[in-house]
Amino acid sequence: MTQPAPQTASQAAPDRLAERYAQLLQRAVLDEDPLVVETALAEAAALGREMMRAEVPLEEVSEIHHEALVALAQAHPQVPLTQVANRITAPLMEAYMAYSLSFREQLEHRTNAILNARIDQLRRLESIGTLAAGVAHEFNNILGSIIGFSELLTDEVDPAAPGSQYLQHILQASFRARDLTARLLTFARDMPEVQAPVDVVAVANETLELLRATLPVNMRLVLETQATQAWVMADTSQIQQIIMNLCINAADAIQVRDGRIRIAIETRLDSTSEAPSSKPSSEPASEPPLAWVRLSVSDNGEGMSAETRARIFDPFFTTKAPGKGTGLGLSVIHGLVTSMGGTISLDSTPGLGTRFDIDLPALTGAAPDPATTTDPP
Amino acid sequence: MTTILIVDDDELFRTMLDAMLRSEGHQVLSAVNGTEALSVLESHAPDLIMTDILMPDGDGIELISTLNQQARGIPIIAMSGGRRAISLEFNLESAELMGVKATLAKPFTRATLRQAITDALHA
Repeated sequence: MTQPAPQTASQAAPDRLAERYAQLLQRAVLDEDPLVVETALAEAAALGREMMRAEVPLEEVSEIHHEALVALAQAHPQVPLTQVANRITAPLMEAYMAYSLSFREQLEHRTNAILNARIDQLRRLESIGTLAAGVAHEFNNILGSIIGFSELLTDEVDPAAPGSQYLQHILQASFRARDLTARLLTFARDMPEVQAPVDVVAVANETLELLRATLPVNMRLVLETQATQAWVMADTSQIQQIIMNLCINAADAIQVRDGRIRIAIETRLDSTSEAPSSKPSSEPASEPPLAWVRLSVSDNGEGMSAETRARIFDPFFTTKAPGKGTGLGLSVIHGLVTSMGGTISLDSTPGLGTRFDIDLPALTGAAPDPATTTDPP
Repeated sequence: MTTILIVDDDELFRTMLDAMLRSEGHQVLSAVNGTEALSVLESHAPDLIMTDILMPDGDGIELISTLNQQARGIPIIAMSGGRRAISLEFNLESAELMGVKATLAKPFTRATLRQAITDALHA
């Protein structure tokens, strides 16, 4: 506590706090000296933080405020109501803001602890899944040899000899083991991340259909894509989550007027192969360059300040009204994109809008159905 | 007579597949990883390549990708004991996407192997 408390309140008992609050409220409302009023405001802020530290519940804070007001009105019935109303706002806001800031800090601290515990748990589960998959993989290789050699040996053994029967038993046992590893793999597959080739264009189309049904009618949702397909290694639901979250954020940023949200998907080559861009790039590159699938979501919303941009991916950071957002959406997206080996960046101008660019490593070497690739999008 | 190049880091499995393919009347070449496979291909021209996916020192995906670039036109069968379970792990589906002619999930029987070879050679 850096703020010196004029009335020495070494014990932060609620009744002591209530007393101090009543006193500074009187000073803030009744005193004519601006300096005294100013000091009262600073004290109000200190008091708010102290109340939070003493874990005074919000209802009790309202109660303290109410009682102090009643006491003030009774002690000074001559004070015009407008003077009370005008002057009461400032100390009240100071105390309340300090209180809610501390409250938020404490809440974030607790939520972080819970989240960390959950991440630890997920990590443990994931390592079990990875272990299961690894074991199953090894087992399948071993079983491959056992089954193969047993079948080869069957050729060498007289079908009437008992050995032939024994070989059949070895094969049966091996098939049972194979089914067991399949179950182990199914278990591993139920782990949080299941990555497989995913066509971002197809997922975007599906997601936008869902979004169109949810977003207000004055919101134009446009998908622009130069390719009919764009493959990445990902979990379909994660790509869906990314598009959903970004579009909902965009819609929230433009709720006051008619808006436009543009989703663009393009395949980009690595910067090293992009460098000689002045010459026509009609000839195919001799080395296949590292390719990226870029998913962009842009809006013509209110944009962001530099401060907001700096904190935008922080957990629990939100500019939305209380109850409208958890402040987790973008930090989760950031985590998802990073886990896929991709990057996320943004460009935002206050008053003009925001654009998020997500670059995911493209799955190359694939020659998707040539019939579809020649079709113009 | 068909010449088949086996690429697998598991020695026991390689020995088994070698014997099985020979018993089917094929000629067999073998390599322990993608890098070795590429050097074998410098002096030999097999009719078919059967490659494992997960191998240390030059895995199957890299090999398939290199062969695609070189446009040798040799049909490829991808094999793997792993399925799509480990995140970011390359698997048979990735290989399929890269244009291999057939895939074999380990363990497989001789009947499945025969079918895959027929598919790969006559696709």
